[in-house]
Amino acid sequence: MTAADLEFGQKATIRNIDLTHPSSQRILEFGFTPGQEIELLNKTLFNDPISISVRGSLIALRKDDAESIQI
Amino acid sequence: MPVSSLNSQKQKTSLVTLVGPPNSGKSTLYNLLSGSKAKTVNYPGSTIEYSISRFLKHFDVQAALVDSPGIVSLMPDSPEEKLSIDYLFSHPKYGSPDLIVITADASQLSRHLFLVQQVIDTNAKVIVALTMIDLLNKKGYDISVNRLNQLLKCDVIPVNGRNGKGLDNLIDSIKKNLKKKKSKVIYNYKNDYGTKLVDIYKTTEFIENEVLYPIGEGAKQKTADNDLLYDELKIKSDIIKIKPDERTLKLDRLFLNKYWGILIFLLIMASVFTSIFWLAAPLMDIVDLLFTTLSNNVTTLFGETWFSNLLSDGIITGVGSVLIFIPQIMILFLLLGFLEDTGYLARGAMLVDRPLSKIGLNGKSFVPMLSGFACAIPAIMATRTIKNKKERFLTIFIIPLMSCSARLPVYALLLAFLLHGSPFLSGITLALIYLFSITSSLIIAGIINKYQSKIIKVKDSSSFILELPTYRLPNIKNVIRNTITNANHYVKRAGPIIIIFSLVIWFLTYFPNSNPVITNSGDLSKKEVLELKSSERLTNSYASMIGNFIEPVMKPLGMDWRIGVSIITTFAAREVFVSSMAMIFKVTDTEGDLRTSIVDAMKNAKIKDTNKKLFTTSTVIGLIVFFVFALQCISTIAVSKKETGGWRLPILQLVIFTTMAYVLTFITVNGLKLFGVE
Ligand SMILES: Nc1nc2c(ncn2[C@@H]2O[C@H](COP(=O)(O)OP(=O)(O)O)[C@@H](O)[C@H]2O)c(=O)[nH]1
Ligand SMILES: [Mg+2]
Repeated sequence: MTAADLEFGQKATIRNIDLTHPSSQRILEFGFTPGQEIELLNKTLFNDPISISVRGSLIALRKDDAESIQI
Repeated sequence: MPVSSLNSQKQKTSLVTLVGPPNSGKSTLYNLLSGSKAKTVNYPGSTIEYSISRFLKHFDVQAALVDSPGIVSLMPDSPEEKLSIDYLFSHPKYGSPDLIVITADASQLSRHLFLVQQVIDTNAKVIVALTMIDLLNKKGYDISVNRLNQLLKCDVIPVNGRNGKGLDNLIDSIKKNLKKKKSKVIYNYKNDYGTKLVDIYKTTEFIENEVLYPIGEGAKQKTADNDLLYDELKIKSDIIKIKPDERTLKLDRLFLNKYWGILIFLLIMASVFTSIFWLAAPLMDIVDLLFTTLSNNVTTLFGETWFSNLLSDGIITGVGSVLIFIPQIMILFLLLGFLEDTGYLARGAMLVDRPLSKIGLNGKSFVPMLSGFACAIPAIMATRTIKNKKERFLTIFIIPLMSCSARLPVYALLLAFLLHGSPFLSGITLALIYLFSITSSLIIAGIINKYQSKIIKVKDSSSFILELPTYRLPNIKNVIRNTITNANHYVKRAGPIIIIFSLVIWFLTYFPNSNPVITNSGDLSKKEVLELKSSERLTNSYASMIGNFIEPVMKPLGMDWRIGVSIITTFAAREVFVSSMAMIFKVTDTEGDLRTSIVDAMKNAKIKDTNKKLFTTSTVIGLIVFFVFALQCISTIAVSKKETGGWRLPILQLVIFTTMAYVLTFITVNGLKLFGVE
């Protein structure tokens, strides 16, 4: 499963980051690293982009980008 | 503060560079340290350029201070970012910093220490300015600054950007560190980012766990650096888990709601654009009164001479007709500044990402596009935040279609003609013009996106990742200061051009036949003689001769050479249109105020050798359409060339937009006539 599959208000722990994904460097730099707990907080119209909390911050990202976050 | 004067002393003056992730309080600190004379151009969105200034005098620091664009990491993943980082360590103009001050948000410590750790690893001399401790306290934690200082092995100074607390300590630390020897900086961009980045985060997590300690939910009391309290509380706590700001989560449930969120977004945007008109109206009347009085006094003082004519008709009318729009421009900047400072703009970007991605743009195009309503130049530079080259070029391509503030004076004049000065109707119509320009730009983006392989010629993967900052009450002082700086830039940029063009146009319309002979057979009043004189003077002027060349181009649009000449002058700056019109249509009626007298002159203007009115509803609407599309700004073309690294895009913009403007104006004017609108 990836962070793109999370439901509204669902929490998860990051298992791994897919380094073959083109956004993986950005994703890591924003603080999505293995072991971190994340929570899906909002889905906008069309369910994309979504906002996820990590390390006490809120990050908005597309589902395409969230697919690099394996949970 | 002239940059050159700082540069020339580069050898002697030390350089302090401010670095920090976006929203870490960097610009706030820059403003506190450099005072109001700072040469910072902080357009809504972000700091996009390096800017330099001196420290405020009373700090007594012999150094220049540089503000840099916000970065998340020292590992670039685009050429623009690589440039930003290269400039950080050795700027082509300002050189390499003697000292780096990094701002870090204490309420998201592990994320913000990420950059701090990377910069420290380069061996640069570093001070950490720890901001937002008040927010950290609200989340129920406090921080041991001493412990952080030990772990990072560099000075850590808590500062509060809101009230300036801690600034003196920061200054002391800067002075102390500047005395130390400059260190040799080593940095290289490695590609093994996967493990490397995770390792850095492991370090910052460890540090966060070491230095933070819980002080109980909602605790207000602040310990400066109470190590006893730290030891006592630290033992009891286990792993630190900072949560997002509660209030922000609640507000987001509304602002990012699938339906309410969109509705609120549209309402906010609509009210921003309508208030540009109705909030500004009373202020504009004041400016207007000022210049009308001035112009009248000059005429009374010098009488009917060429000199008085030059002063009142040339310079005062010209400058006044443009300065009158300062209130509108300031209100635009003020509102954008407020939106940005509250943290809402990032939400706006998120809300529009999906629709924009359908036409080849990105949510990150939103802020540059919005800034484009102020001025295309910083807006084009702000596209640097867009990673994907295709999306970036497409955003740059359509930015000139955003109704920049230089078009405001033009629309205001034309709307005053159409709507007889009703602020309510003008506000609504202006909002419609804005809507029209946005819609057109989106359609054009969509079309170009379809054929983009021919026009833009780059391929890249697309992404949208953006931090949503904590909602805050806007820092009114900063917003107002930025607004004033921006208005200042507007006047400084447009002012000289307007004066020069006013003089040129006055000259072209006044000579060579400066004193035409009117044979008065006795039945003409003195006033009529004067009017005949000025119309005779204009008909045989240089301007009219130039006008004969462009007359054939203007005729199909139902316009004449006088409008043509006014349009030509707009290539220096669009707002010059108003002063050119004012002068060419001879605002001799100094009784009325500036706007209405131009409007009256427009109403009286006739097509040559006929009794037909030159300005009709259809031609004025046609002119509005022309100004929506035409790319009449040399500076925009220059920036577009610089930012895209070639002439291809700017030339396409110039040709496509100007052709479109002409064709669509033709269709509008003649279409309206076909339907009986004159
Ligand atoms: N509560 C609080 N807010 C701050 C502090 N410092 C800055 N801010 C606010 O944080 C926001 C972002 O600051 P800014 O200087 O624009 O950040 P930049 O993106 O790093 O330039 C602004 O609304 C500031 O008023 C602080 O110490 N405490
Ligand atoms: Mg800033």
